[in-house]
Formats: sequence, C-alpha cells, structure tokens
Amino acid sequence: MGFARNFVSAVTTAVCLASLLAGCATAPPADDPDAVAEYKENNDPLEPTNRVIYDINDSIDSAVFVPIAKGYRFAVPEPVRHGVHNLLTNISSVPVLANDLLQGNLDGAGDTFARLAINTTIGLGGIIDVANDWGIRQHDADFGMTMALWGVDPGPFLFLPLLGPSNPRDLGGYVGDIAFDPVTYMTGPNWRLFSYSRFGAKAIDARERHLDDLEEIKKNALDPYATLRSLYNQNRAQQIEQARQAREAASGAKDDQ
Amino acid sequence: MAGHFSHSLSRITPMLTRRPLFFAAALLSLGVLCQPALAQQGPEVTARAFVQETARQLLSVINTNSSLPEKQKLIRPMIDARVDVDGIARFCLGRFWRTASPDQQGDFLKLFHAVLVKSVSGKIGDYNGVTIDVGKAQMRDEGVIVTTTITRPNNAPAQVDWLVVTQAGQPRLADMIAAGTSLRLTTRKDYESYLNRNSNDVSALLAALHKQADSDGGA
Repeated sequence: MGFARNFVSAVTTAVCLASLLAGCATAPPADDPDAVAEYKENNDPLEPTNRVIYDINDSIDSAVFVPIAKGYRFAVPEPVRHGVHNLLTNISSVPVLANDLLQGNLDGAGDTFARLAINTTIGLGGIIDVANDWGIRQHDADFGMTMALWGVDPGPFLFLPLLGPSNPRDLGGYVGDIAFDPVTYMTGPNWRLFSYSRFGAKAIDARERHLDDLEEIKKNALDPYATLRSLYNQNRAQQIEQARQAREAASGAKDDQ
Repeated sequence: MAGHFSHSLSRITPMLTRRPLFFAAALLSLGVLCQPALAQQGPEVTARAFVQETARQLLSVINTNSSLPEKQKLIRPMIDARVDVDGIARFCLGRFWRTASPDQQGDFLKLFHAVLVKSVSGKIGDYNGVTIDVGKAQMRDEGVIVTTTITRPNNAPAQVDWLVVTQAGQPRLADMIAAGTSLRLTTRKDYESYLNRNSNDVSALLAALHKQADSDGGA
C-alpha cells in the first residue's frame, strides 16, 4: 500500500509539474483556415501537457507493464488466458447491463443479461463463453457512451496517467461505471482484495491483448501520440454511433407496435 | 347476350392461360440476357466481387507452405494491381499535397508505395491460417464499403470494412476500416501531426518515410 500511495503521489506530482511546464497548445493563426480546421478537429488544446503525460505513461509502460504482459503471455498458455479474459469480462458486466438500459438498448440489455446468466452458470463462472457459442455476442457499453447519447459534450482530448487516451466525459464515465459496479458497495477485506485483484488482472489482460498492436504503432507511426489520439477518437465515434443506432432500432420497434 | 359472352370468353380463355406462359418465357430469356449486364452495372456487386477475388488471391499467398520471402515477392504485384496506392498516398498527405513541389510529390508517392508494400509483407507471417468471409456491400459517398469478417487462429473474429473505389474504370482498394478506425485517416493524422511538429516541412516527412522504407523488418 505504501508503494502504491507513493507511486500515485509521484504520478500526480509529475502531472502537476508537467501541466505547469508545458501549458496549453497555441492555436494556429486565423489566416490559415486548413490549420485552424485541423486544430479544431484534433480537439486537443492541452496537447503539450498530454504529450508529457504520454511520455511518462510510455516509460512506465515499457518498464513495468510490457514486461509483466510479456511474462504473462510466456508463462500462461493461450486457452487459459482466454478463460481468464472471459471470466474478467463476465464479472465486470453489470455496468454494461446498466448502460445498455440507460442507452435504451433493450436488445443489448437482453444480450448482456443472458450472457451473464448463461456464462455464470453453464460457463463455470464465466471462464467459458458459452453464450458466444450460442450466438449471443459480447458488446461494450460504458457510461461515457451513455452520456454521449444524452448529448454530453466530450470536452478536450485528455491523455490520462495510467488510463491513457480519454476526455472529461469519458473520465466521468469511468467513475460512473465504478458506481454501477455492485462490487464497489461490498464491504470487508475479501471484497477489497477481490476488487484490487480484478483491477490488476484486467490491466494485465488488456495489456497482453494489445502487446502486438501497440508495439506496431510505436514502431511504425511517425507520431505515436497523434496516432493513438486519432484511433481513440475514431473508435469512440463508432461505438457511440452504434449505440445510437441500437437505441433508434429499439424505439422504432416500439413505435411499430 | 349470354351466348355471345360465353363465346368470346371461350376465345379469350386460351389466350389468358397461354399469356402467362409467354410472359414467363419472355422474362426468363430477358433475365438470362440481362443478368450478367446487371451484375456489371451495380457498383456494389462489382465491389463485392472485387473484394472476394482480392481476398481469395491474398489467402492463396498467405496460406501456403512457401517461404516468407517467396510470399512477400508475390504480394507486391497484387498490391500494384488491386490497391489505389497513389490515391491513398494523396489522401494521407492531405493539405500538404498542394504545398509540396512536383519533385516532392513524386518522391512521396514512391516512398509511400515502398512503405505500404513493406508494412503489408511484414504482416503476412502473422496471418497464417486466416479466413476471410465477405459480407454485404453498401454504397457510400467515398465509394463502396464491403464488410468482411477476418478470423485468425486463436483470435476473435474481427469485422473489417474494405473501401472500394473506381480508378480508371477498375475497382481498387482505397481503405480498410476496423472497429471504426480507418487506416488511411489514421495515417493522414500521423503525417499531419509529424509535419506540424516539423514546421510543416514536407522534406522532413520524406526523410522519415525514407528511414521507414529502409529499416529492417516492417512490423
């Protein structure tokens, strides 16, 4: 715990210093319309600060998370890792269900509920994704997407310590999803241990799954930071658009009745 | 009256019963004649067939026992014949295409081509045993989007959309989109940011691409 606290305060101090030193991006001159359009599209007025955090994250990532993820990949055979991933997905699916409902995506909510019920029982707690074999596919839904459907503005792009690419809306969504998770309200040392273990395991699982693509971005992109920013923005836009279509399909089906 | 009516009815009935037969025959022959022509005309159908054939050719190179260098040798002509490399390159350079000199434009196209071939051939090894299922095709402003499902062994199936454009009357691949992320748009943003941080100097980008093209191992 002492280490964790020191680590967190070190990161916090670093970020504060970085913001002071780096500050805000300078907007391009108004007589260069292309550059102005580009600046608006990137939506990254805090870019200098974000880049400092990106560099810090990247150093921590290379020194700590990549070796752990590689060790995990080396030591644990693929079928077991697959089972671990399924289990982690299953025991984190209550917030997905809550967001499906908040997004008015009734089909999605039905899928998430069915998956939780099937995989927890027949799938041995979620290790085996039986529901997927039955054609009920996993999908993502988080509170950042839900707020986007409610019309909440994303705010400027943020590169967050440890969490990576985000924005104020999605950071708020991250906190909101913690509130949707029943584990948050469980008391006692065992539940706390469960919560921390799950967090750690999810971090290692996610890092292992992205070892190859992140390595490729770092190797092939001329500006990995800008590439990650672009990938994040495009991927979020698509997730939100899909959620919007699911909601429209659900309300359309209701109107038809 | 009744007699007259039944008389004319008896004359009409054979015509009526025979008419559908005639129509059916006419439709059939028309259909047989028109079907290939219709297939040629629908851009969605053409694009889908193009993606299907591209996938088939790609898999015939990837999923064989020949050595990696041999496979890589076969990939280049396939890219030249099926990918709108120059169009993608110009898209990726974006607004800087206009500020680049004709020499720089020429150098850029050449380097972009080399980097693309290198990056594709660098990935061949990772895709052994891959399957590609071609789904539906949809017309968009920028071309036809053909949806495919790409399955690699030990990986969850991934939906990848192929953007097919028409270049000099021929279908050509212009982009691939996975999880909402477009390959050419991401590259354009990468170049754009690199140029911004290098005083918008196209020669700096050319130098960086030169390094990429010359480096060992694509990805």
